Amino acid sequence: MQNLLGLLFLTAVTTCLPAQDAERNRILEKYRAIRPTMDELAMYRLDWETSLSDAQKRAAAEGRPIMLIIIHARYGDITSGHC
Amino acid sequence: MTSWHGHRRDASLPRVVREVWDEKFRPQPGRPPAKQSNVDMVLLKPNGEVVHWFDAFQRSGFDPRETLAQYTVREIQKGSQLLGLPKASDSVSKIKLPDVGKSSGMRVFVRLKDSRMKAYQIPVVEAVKLQPQDWLPLKWSDQECLVDAGSLRKWLQQLYPPGIMERTDPQTKEIFKINTVEGILSLVPAGSDGRQRYAVLSGVIQFGDEGADGFHYNGQIELVLTYTMGKPEVQAVRGVFEGTYPRFDRIHNSSYAFPLEAAFESLPR
Repeated sequence: MQNLLGLLFLTAVTTCLPAQDAERNRILEKYRAIRPTMDELAMYRLDWETSLSDAQKRAAAEGRPIMLIIIHARYGDITSGHC
Repeated sequence: MTSWHGHRRDASLPRVVREVWDEKFRPQPGRPPAKQSNVDMVLLKPNGEVVHWFDAFQRSGFDPRETLAQYTVREIQKGSQLLGLPKASDSVSKIKLPDVGKSSGMRVFVRLKDSRMKAYQIPVVEAVKLQPQDWLPLKWSDQECLVDAGSLRKWLQQLYPPGIMERTDPQTKEIFKINTVEGILSLVPAGSDGRQRYAVLSGVIQFGDEGADGFHYNGQIELVLTYTMGKPEVQAVRGVFEGTYPRFDRIHNSSYAFPLEAAFESLPR
């Protein structure tokens, strides 16, 4: 009887573990598929500052020009993409 | 690079914005008003002096065969010459995504698969700084347990698409913020590899915003959570959200539901 229970336990564990691995892998595969590619994130190759005032301080300190995007709207954040 | 947004009637405008808009909106007696977009690009000297600006979308006197990208490059080159900048090198800079610095947090990539508007398919990237207590709902449990999606609201409320013009207050023009995050999620142990153990958080989440019209949308979240063996604190999170977001088409007076997708990764990675 004890041997039979042991066998059942072992069978349960060996069938359960691959199922758990498969479930995790399935979700992580989706994550890799949905996460944007490097090409899609290319705008983050630019050197972004989160505010105009911070950019002006850095520009003055580093002697570098600024590229400013002005949005005529009461909402919008180009740095994140929410607009 | 930086961006700024606001309205021309705002009480306080940055000097640079005032200077550009004074010129942009100056009446031209005897001439019909020029077409304008609501986006301008400006090149500034290190001391903040405006060197060159142009409307990002309304091209005047342009060759119709010129693409918007070519127009943008041409205008930036004009500004670069005025700034006396050397020709851009071909080297490619490393990608630097929005981050939370030395804190911990969640990075969220969102995109709306709006088949009519390609621009909405460009991913939004938000990094949300989190405090130790914000991670507590995700602590390890030996048994399946339930998690209120509202307890994860700080980062889940980033799940809305770009270009949300129709979800703004018609009076103030302010965006309706996501203020409802509802759903009971299931947190289930999902095995270990000897060094780390895992759990899966999943379930349906419904979102609503500040609008008074009962607007809502929903979708399914699935996350893999990683824990160090013997420790209850979650160490890493990876996962996805797959839902639909309704957009109202004023021209056809009807709504369309588009896939809204997100990927999540805890920070630091």
